[in-house]
Amino acid sequence: MSPIDVVDVPDPGQWTSTLAGSADDACELLTAIDHGAELEILVVLRGREGLRMLRTRVPAKDPCLDSAVAVLPAVAWHEREVAEMFGVTFAGHPDPRPLLLREHVEAPPLRRSTPLPERIARPWPGARDAGARRRPTPPPGVRNSWQGRDVDEGAP
Amino acid sequence: MLAPFRARSALRLAADPGLGIDVIALGLACCAVEVDAAVAAGLLRPEEAGDDPARVRILVVAGTVTTPLAPVLEAAVHQGPVPDAVLAFGACASTGGPYWDSPTVVNGADLVVAVDEYVPGCPPRPEALCRAVAELASRVAAP
Amino acid sequence: MTTSPRRGVLRLIPSACTSCMICAQECPAWCITIDAHTEQVSEPGARRPRSVSVLDAFSIDFGLCMYCGICVDVCPFDALEWSPEDDHAAERRDALVHDVDRLAAH
Repeated sequence: MSPIDVVDVPDPGQWTSTLAGSADDACELLTAIDHGAELEILVVLRGREGLRMLRTRVPAKDPCLDSAVAVLPAVAWHEREVAEMFGVTFAGHPDPRPLLLREHVEAPPLRRSTPLPERIARPWPGARDAGARRRPTPPPGVRNSWQGRDVDEGAP
Repeated sequence: MLAPFRARSALRLAADPGLGIDVIALGLACCAVEVDAAVAAGLLRPEEAGDDPARVRILVVAGTVTTPLAPVLEAAVHQGPVPDAVLAFGACASTGGPYWDSPTVVNGADLVVAVDEYVPGCPPRPEALCRAVAELASRVAAP
Repeated sequence: MTTSPRRGVLRLIPSACTSCMICAQECPAWCITIDAHTEQVSEPGARRPRSVSVLDAFSIDFGLCMYCGICVDVCPFDALEWSPEDDHAAERRDALVHDVDRLAAH
């Protein structure tokens, strides 16, 4: 497996100017990672020396980043997907239509804060209990959860 | 506006001397690789699709039905020569599979078209495809 | 029995299952459903009865299963294992859900 060079771009305002130096590389992908308070936007490029990843972070509330389409035309569809799935606004994108979602969604589906409707409508089979389970009492203020997942109170 | 669907190539079951089955495979995702594997193993033979009414036409949905592809699936079944039966190959085509919670996935081909047989698996083996196709075809051919 | 490398379908050994629910909790596709209750079993000489989990229902929906094997790996009692059988095509969608008797017979 080829190693990947990771380049952090601490200031999102420098995103497109930093990418301009890689205009000759092939763009493999652009995607986002939800870190809660921040979204990380990353680009993977393939140059003559190998793979390189450039990444930056934007606040999770009203995330906005300059579109890199002028520098790397291949990110056009990737930015559209990140826009609809994470709610990121790519300023200056020439064609900001949704890419995959055909219907309007209430919240960006791939954000951790967005519960998927199907997973709400369908009760989690793991919440059922044989009845003899001794669940540790959570400290005050802690959400009643088991292994980080919400469980039904008094599930049969 | 979708162009009318025309099956350009069909696959024929290698072991069907008397039955006469044409398999039209809609390779939507990874399960399509198992259809290719069936061809590579000689279980299915690629041929020009014909309109011989004496042969049983089975349309195999091999892969995840995503929301943009749902109208294409519907067109494939209802436009052009109508298949005698539809087979959902794999978990995604049967129920949405592991992607049942995705907003861009239709949870099963049977939400778009009538499905006559479901083959579980992720992906199912090529032998499972041919067994299910043969069983479905004999069920369809029987009066 | 488990020497075959083929992962056709999952087999349950009901006598080994304690309905601990770990497989149902860890399954990424949510395809395992378990119903169980507890019974008090008195033993001679014991000061108080013991709680025993009794399995009422165990089903796997193979329409959703992605055959990852996480349930086999996490079961602390090795009650789930792979079976090489792979002939489970069904005419109806609900026939893809296998109950405990069918799972034990794979």
